[in-house]
Amino acid sequence: MANVVIMPRQGQSVESCIITAWQKKKGDHVNEKDILFSYETDKSAFDEPSQFTGTMLEILWNEGDVVPCLEPVCIIGEEGEDISALLPKKNADAAPETASEEVKETPKAEAVATVSESDGNRVFISPRAKRLALESAVDMTKVVPTGPHGRIIERDINKALDEGFVATQEKVEKFLKGIVEAEETALPKEEKAAETVQAPAAAADVHAYTEEPMSNVRKVIAKAMHSSLSEMAQLTLNSSFNASALLAYRAKLKSSGEALGLGKITINDMVLFAVSRILPKYPEINANLIDNTFRKYKYANVGMAVDTDRGLLVPVIFGADKLTLSEISAKAKELAGKAREGKCSPDEMSGGSFTVSNLGSMGVESFTPVINPPQTAILGVCCTTNRLDAEGKVYPAMGLSLTFDHRAVDGAPAAKFLKELCGALENFDLLLAK
Amino acid sequence: MPKSQFVDPGKVFVPGYAEFESIPLCRYNKTLAEEKKIYSKDDFMRIYHDMRTIREFETMLNEIKVKSEYNGVKYNNPGPAHLSIGQEASAVGQAYCLDINDYTFGSHRSHGEILAKGLSSINKLDEKELYEIMKEFLGGATLAVVEKNNHTGNIKDLAKDFLLYGALAEIFARTTGFNKGLGGSMHAFFIPFGILPNNAIVGGAAPIALGAALFKRSNHKKGIVVANSGDGALGRGPVLESLNFASMDQITKLWGMDGKYSNEGMPILFNVFNNFYGMGGQTMGETMGFTFPARLAAGFNLDQMHSEKVNGYDPLAVIDATTRKKELLLSGKGPAFLEVATYRISGHSPSDSSTYRTQEEIEAWKEANPIVAYRKKMVEGGVATEEEFDAIDESIVERVTKIIKLAIDDEVSPRMDLSKNPDMISSIMYSNNHVKSMDPDREPEVLIPKEEDPRVKQIAGKSRYAFDEKGAAIPKMKLYNIRDGLFEAIIDKFYEDPTTIAYGEDNRDWGGAFAVYRGLTEALPYHRFFNAPISESAIVGSAVGYAIAGGRAIVELMYADFIGCAGDEIFNQLSKWQAMSAGILKMPVVLRVSVGSKYGAQHSQDWTALCSHIPGLKVCFPATPYDAKGLMNSALNGTDPVIFFESQRIYDKGEEFHKEGVPEGYYEIPIGEPDVKREGKDVTILSIGAVLYRALEAADKLQSEYGISAEVIDARSMVPFNYEKVIESVKKTGKIVIVGDAVDRGSIMRDMASNITEMCFDYLDAPPAVFGSRNWITPAFELEKYYFPQADGIIDVISEKLMPIPGHVTKYNETEIEHIERAKKGV
Repeated sequence: MANVVIMPRQGQSVESCIITAWQKKKGDHVNEKDILFSYETDKSAFDEPSQFTGTMLEILWNEGDVVPCLEPVCIIGEEGEDISALLPKKNADAAPETASEEVKETPKAEAVATVSESDGNRVFISPRAKRLALESAVDMTKVVPTGPHGRIIERDINKALDEGFVATQEKVEKFLKGIVEAEETALPKEEKAAETVQAPAAAADVHAYTEEPMSNVRKVIAKAMHSSLSEMAQLTLNSSFNASALLAYRAKLKSSGEALGLGKITINDMVLFAVSRILPKYPEINANLIDNTFRKYKYANVGMAVDTDRGLLVPVIFGADKLTLSEISAKAKELAGKAREGKCSPDEMSGGSFTVSNLGSMGVESFTPVINPPQTAILGVCCTTNRLDAEGKVYPAMGLSLTFDHRAVDGAPAAKFLKELCGALENFDLLLAK
Repeated sequence: MPKSQFVDPGKVFVPGYAEFESIPLCRYNKTLAEEKKIYSKDDFMRIYHDMRTIREFETMLNEIKVKSEYNGVKYNNPGPAHLSIGQEASAVGQAYCLDINDYTFGSHRSHGEILAKGLSSINKLDEKELYEIMKEFLGGATLAVVEKNNHTGNIKDLAKDFLLYGALAEIFARTTGFNKGLGGSMHAFFIPFGILPNNAIVGGAAPIALGAALFKRSNHKKGIVVANSGDGALGRGPVLESLNFASMDQITKLWGMDGKYSNEGMPILFNVFNNFYGMGGQTMGETMGFTFPARLAAGFNLDQMHSEKVNGYDPLAVIDATTRKKELLLSGKGPAFLEVATYRISGHSPSDSSTYRTQEEIEAWKEANPIVAYRKKMVEGGVATEEEFDAIDESIVERVTKIIKLAIDDEVSPRMDLSKNPDMISSIMYSNNHVKSMDPDREPEVLIPKEEDPRVKQIAGKSRYAFDEKGAAIPKMKLYNIRDGLFEAIIDKFYEDPTTIAYGEDNRDWGGAFAVYRGLTEALPYHRFFNAPISESAIVGSAVGYAIAGGRAIVELMYADFIGCAGDEIFNQLSKWQAMSAGILKMPVVLRVSVGSKYGAQHSQDWTALCSHIPGLKVCFPATPYDAKGLMNSALNGTDPVIFFESQRIYDKGEEFHKEGVPEGYYEIPIGEPDVKREGKDVTILSIGAVLYRALEAADKLQSEYGISAEVIDARSMVPFNYEKVIESVKKTGKIVIVGDAVDRGSIMRDMASNITEMCFDYLDAPPAVFGSRNWITPAFELEKYYFPQADGIIDVISEKLMPIPGHVTKYNETEIEHIERAKKGV
């Protein structure tokens, strides 16, 4: 019976050893205690004496090979013995790499909401003074900082309060965010910033410019947009639909819905509503694509692009397909408001399955929206233009631009999605009835 | 420095020679025929059985380490395994003579000693006792595992399973192990069998064993203590200190107090298993100069510690020698020293490639295999047949195989589940018990009634509050001070707990270098209160052993600066044994350390940070007589190790805060509760130790010169520490500066500042400021104001970092730029 010699484990931390020299060759006679081979760990060098007497039948590793501990190194037995059963089965164990089924944690949208104001307008104030300022609604423009490093400290707020300088909490918040209101300053914010870097006497200098570091929000947007365009296979389909029904419904809401509290429902809310109803039927579009894995959402988590002072933010209406039109409208308003105030949490801005971006109000007739990664598509809503139908009648046509990631979705299903969406919007009353 | 002993110049210079007796080397020469008169066949076979059990146990661990398999059982053990293959006869021979009242302490290579002592105790205990011990241990959890898998109905056989399983489960970090897996291979022990803690620090067990012997000696307990170590440990200071401490003359010359008390020597055997290597360093011929360890011991006292060398490869020779040593100790002639020459065939650990010794040497010792040699002698001498020995071998392999299967089974031998019970280790870091007397059945041994003590009488005439009815300060000589507060708490404990013992340098006669103990000499016999040699390691280490053995110790380091001299004993032993024993051991030790002043760089340091950093210690630093007595009472009634900082600047301070004065009776101040010494509203000053008085001076100036009202909080303790009062204060003031005499960098003040920032950030008007000493050496007294924080400096820091004070002109440079520069330079 042949014996397999294994690579000993010399100490717990040792995972593998290097064979430095073979003292026996294949076919050599081996006595017990003869040194078979020399090997090294990262700490020490060892000689491995044989525990068996016989013939070296097989040497499984060469000098210089790194051998995992406890792996067979050589086989000693009687000459001519069949050792095929003892030879390691090469490759048999190498199972094909299977994709991990493990559900990974949802990647957070890069904490857009936690970004603080740029340093240029930063207000230095102690946490305690800040609390007091907000509670007391002190007029921050009258507070004189006296703390170390020109920091506003508690006593500075108290002094302003003692002198009767009170404003509103909202103004304190704005002040603390570095927003100085227009009526209180002669110059708009940008120009004021420019002042600080311009040479004072060079008012007419045509080469004058200002340098401002990119804000963190800008950096996040830049990174997301660049990776979107560089990593995806994006293309845009443009289409339009007859918005008569939509506009009529909107007019009705405005005139008679007011009493029901439905007067504030916008065209965009209606588009969001239609999208939410169609999306779940297209799992590749209502999805994220992350490292070759589709995360297909059960519900329509529709992101809405909101233009804010600080840049583009995309809060998400979760489970929009379960909400009524008026609920979507209310949610959209709430989120847009929070986004503009910089109060959206990172959670509210991640986990979207699709995004709607509306430039229609700016008169944009058609555009190429850029997908918000890791989503697979984005819908651009454009303005309405007057078109003639087959009978020569004028009708309001509203443009829709669907950008999709061709890696995830093919042209035909994308076009089908767009067509179905157009159909739904054209028959908005019917959609509502569903 | 007893006055009874006259240092006579007429005798000091008399010429002559110091005489030494010859040291016996391997003089055992009994024949088997002679030994047969002493031992029965059962005895002879038991010796073989025990050696063979150790060999198999260690071989099993070696196979598991190197091959991850033993006898078909696969397992991976990431923990350490320092094996003693080859040393079995030495361990078994020693344990054979010991009973359960005899304690053994060992090293990182003590599996063999644990098994040998355990098997010997199993043999000596009657079945009922044995079963009781097993049933009570850890609520029967360990017994349950082996009982379910042993159907012999034989209690002794069951106990062998219990011993092997408890040890192995401990080595494999299982909750059913002897210390719930928290001690591991190098720290396993089982007190009911007289197996006391083993130690991963080379030589670490020597002072601890000394302390256990001191406990037996001072409390008149049965049995002896064996301090086992290897030859390598003889290079360690704590071992040499312990040899000297155990040998000191006073034990036999003074402790008897003219026949009133025992004058017996220390009942300790220092037993060195000389295997010739300290890891790889060869003690004989390379790293030591003693040739034989037995020679080293001979210089410690006139008895030469009865030192001898014995052949550790012959169990009968070891029994012969150990029996004689034990008799010496029991007859009061301790301490003793025994060199047991042996050899470790296995590597230091499985990763040892034996680069320091030749294969021939190992082979020669394998050839000398003590187990095989013993068996041959027994077969040839007609004691038993080869078949009988084979049967023993077989049963041992079977037992070890059964035990390892149980020990690696996650179902029966689970590890601590720290996901389900995240507080399991937290809950055993401290015992938090309240025990007035460690031995309530015994009367404390004292020399006079407490009321007759001269110091007690003197204190009775002192004012317990610093001011009279009119608010005038009481003169110092009439004022009850911090010294008195400490003394009162301590003498009360001496009259309450008979196990209480106090020692340190210059404690007796002198009354402690700073007079805290003045009056104790008159009240207490030597064996409860004595002068230790200048041996900080042995002082602290023996206190650890004293507590492990069941007593309460108050030991003292004259200056906090000497903490370094007792580093291992404080940081690895005192702090860790409660938790490493899974809460089985208690550690009622108060270590008093005095923070100096005026004495320069090596006698003035506040090392609270070092002690606070180490988990398992409680640390306090009172600054008033009321707090000193109350905290000392808490420390003395607890069962946890307390590092009790005192300041030499303020020993004579009277009580200025507690208006009712320091109570004469008993009261406690819980360790961990800071105290508001003065209320204020604009800024908080948190002080640690003696700097309290400088903080109050700063508060006075802030009020009188700038109208700023400062709240002053005295931390009193560092570990544990209740932040609630501090947070409450910061919520009020918004500003805090933390002051103390420790150097700023890495101080506990920095730790507190960071915690306060995290705990009440939104309430802070400025980041918490820290004002400690400069990162320098302590200069001479005359220059101290540039080094230690002063009142003016505290105001500067407040103005510079918390709230610029209009009109204040700073004296010290505490600006941020300066701090950045200092940090760059590391000063």
